[in-house]
Amino acid sequence: MELSDSVVKGLQTLADPAYLDLKSFTIFTEAAFSSLLSFPTGSVFDYPELKNMDQSLLKHCHIAATTFILEGVKQNADRSTICSSLEDLKFDSERVDAFYMLYQKNKTNLEKLLSSIDGCPPHITDVSWRLDYCIKNSHVHKVNQPSYLISFNTESGDNNGASSKLNFSCTLEQLQDLVGKMKDAAKSLERAAQL
Amino acid sequence: MEEVDRILIHSLRQAGTDIDEDVQRVKQFSSELIVQAVVRCLRVIDPGVGSGLSPTLPPGMSARFRVGMSLAQACQDLGYKGEIGYQTFLYSNEPEIRSLLMFLVEKLPRESAEVSDQPAGKSALLQKAIAAQIKAQLALPWLPPFCRLPLHRKTQSPGPCHNFRAQPLSLPYSLKGPAKKQSKEVKEYWREYLLPVTSQPSQATSVPASLLENHVSELSAAQDWENEWNSQGLLSRLTPEDYRSRKRMRLQKRIEEQLRAAAQPRPDTHNATRSTSDLSELLNSFAGATAGGDVLTKGTRFTHSEKFTFTQEPEKAAQQMAAAASALPSSHQSEEDLKAQQEAELSAIQQQLQQLSVQMEEVGGDIRQLTVSIHQVSDELKQREVRNSEKESNIRVKKQTIDLLPDAENNLIKLQSLVEASSKRVVHLASQWEKHRTPLIDEHRRLKELCSNREMESSRKLSEIKDLHDKIRQSAEEAKKKESLYKQLITEYETLPKDVSRSAYTMRILEIVGNIKKQKEEITKILSDTKDLQKEINGLTGKLDRTFAVTDELVFKDAKKDESVRKSYKYLAALHENCTQLIQTIEDTGSIMREIRDLEEQIETENGKKTVSNLEKILEDYKAIRQENSALAAKIREG
Repeated sequence: MELSDSVVKGLQTLADPAYLDLKSFTIFTEAAFSSLLSFPTGSVFDYPELKNMDQSLLKHCHIAATTFILEGVKQNADRSTICSSLEDLKFDSERVDAFYMLYQKNKTNLEKLLSSIDGCPPHITDVSWRLDYCIKNSHVHKVNQPSYLISFNTESGDNNGASSKLNFSCTLEQLQDLVGKMKDAAKSLERAAQL
Repeated sequence: MEEVDRILIHSLRQAGTDIDEDVQRVKQFSSELIVQAVVRCLRVIDPGVGSGLSPTLPPGMSARFRVGMSLAQACQDLGYKGEIGYQTFLYSNEPEIRSLLMFLVEKLPRESAEVSDQPAGKSALLQKAIAAQIKAQLALPWLPPFCRLPLHRKTQSPGPCHNFRAQPLSLPYSLKGPAKKQSKEVKEYWREYLLPVTSQPSQATSVPASLLENHVSELSAAQDWENEWNSQGLLSRLTPEDYRSRKRMRLQKRIEEQLRAAAQPRPDTHNATRSTSDLSELLNSFAGATAGGDVLTKGTRFTHSEKFTFTQEPEKAAQQMAAAASALPSSHQSEEDLKAQQEAELSAIQQQLQQLSVQMEEVGGDIRQLTVSIHQVSDELKQREVRNSEKESNIRVKKQTIDLLPDAENNLIKLQSLVEASSKRVVHLASQWEKHRTPLIDEHRRLKELCSNREMESSRKLSEIKDLHDKIRQSAEEAKKKESLYKQLITEYETLPKDVSRSAYTMRILEIVGNIKKQKEEITKILSDTKDLQKEINGLTGKLDRTFAVTDELVFKDAKKDESVRKSYKYLAALHENCTQLIQTIEDTGSIMREIRDLEEQIETENGKKTVSNLEKILEDYKAIRQENSALAAKIREG
């Protein structure tokens, strides 16, 4: 994992037992995780153990820790990666274990947090249709063409999984085109899965 | 052969043929199985060819014949050299099938050999991960929202989404320099009032985005610096801090020059002086904020004029205040009057102001002129003083000469001796100087040389350092690459099926090799035995020949003299001939025995070809074809 100098410096401060003992370290790390997951977090360091620290240094450490956590989750880092990069920064094994435990505990939530940074189109969950057959209209005596009324039920993440409908009508060729495109999409998805 | 068959069957199974568990030998392959195996192999080797062939035998006899022909054609196209035709598949015999299958299995693409030793790039790894993820998601069935377990919730109900919006963060450390340099106020702000980064953005959703963005920008800045340092900074032989400060100063100077060039005072406009003073102020503050840019603090014309206007300002203000106080209107007057009066006052004041500013300018011009004249005058003064002192010294010399005039002779001699002494002294001093100079010059030269040597050495070392840097970077990259390769291989290894076949194969191969070695040893033993025998035989025949020749000669000599001996000679010749015949017969028997063995072997192989059953099959098939033909003919007739 590539880390910038300021992050490295902050983490090295965290690794220093003269600055933070193990208990304060655990509390601090927990606070860092929770500060990422809950908002607003006005008082991240509202613990008696952290009160008499140098607050500006503590804030620096906080930036470093949160950045490290986010980078780790972003790269889907496994145990060996996390541990080796922490050990490179001179963390002792107790701290590494404590950190990794919290990381493991919060990883799914953090993944959710990061995966929510995206725009995602609504999912089609259901479809209903009706076939109309037009025999004639007011302009033409003999039309004799089918038309389809399609209604997609969609589900989007934006309004908490509520489903909405998407209606349109199309001719036979358009429907064939749509079906063909969908088949293509499914096939290319399968192809991508087989890589 | 059993080993070969097992390996063949294993490979065929891997190619996609379903072979029953009880089929252990190629001998047990039925026609259907052979066709299936061949078609599967062809499909793996060349999908274009294989997809046109069906792996099952059709029921109709003529269709079967056609399938056999096309399969034989495909195999020949692949480069099979042996004898092959429809009969190979329909009326199989073991050796032919075995050689065909061996050929096909050898042709199977070996992925394991082609799996690259170089690490797959990051993108390949990512694509693999994506493929695995897609596969996992495809395997999960879709469920309506009320049935979803937490497992599905992650992929099937995505939750609210938002865009990547980063906001600038205020950081409690300075990227430019050590924290000690920061002022006390900034430090206090950091300590007391700065919010933690996670509460700085206005929305919860931009917290991770801002943090990631911040980190990436720091990383890229560090990388830029690294690149620049390696390409230019290292050559400048400065410490990083010096290099940085020098660069900053250069930049500052350039900006200053640009600004100053853009803000040349234009005397024709009234506002110009004002804007330039603003600008000079800006320049001043710019220089003051950054330590080191003390070019401007010496005091330029702008700062002078600025000072001047600032000192003037309070006086002017005081005057204006006094005027305003004296002209304070009494409250009895009506409002309109008041307004008119105020306007009049305003215009008057403005006029006054303009007058004053014009005056100011004039005065400023006067002052400038006066300062110029002061300069001139002081220059003149200095010149005059210099001239004065010259004249004074002249006068002193002349005074002394006048004092010396009365006793001219004596004084002349004294003076001459003095001159001589001083010239001598000069010569002496010069020689002394020479004495001192040469070692000094030598020293100087030596030092110079040393200096240049050092310089060369330092440049050499610099290049070495550069090389080392490059090497370090390269090795770091290599190590990273190797590590990722190792990781990748480990994961690959873990995902591989734990097949014992490999070790079994090697075991078997080793066994076979051992067997072959033993056989070879035996063969060589037998060969040497035969050679020994041959030698013995040759020796014996030679001995026989020689003995016979000697006996023959002896007996022949005696035979001339004695009649009985002649008889014995005849017997001897007959004996010899009979013995030769006997040997000949024995040799013939041996060759016949060998021939018999060969023939027996041939018979066995012919038996192995299942000729009888194949012939029967061919007869049946022939009948079937005739039946089909007659049925077709009947149909034609009916039609």
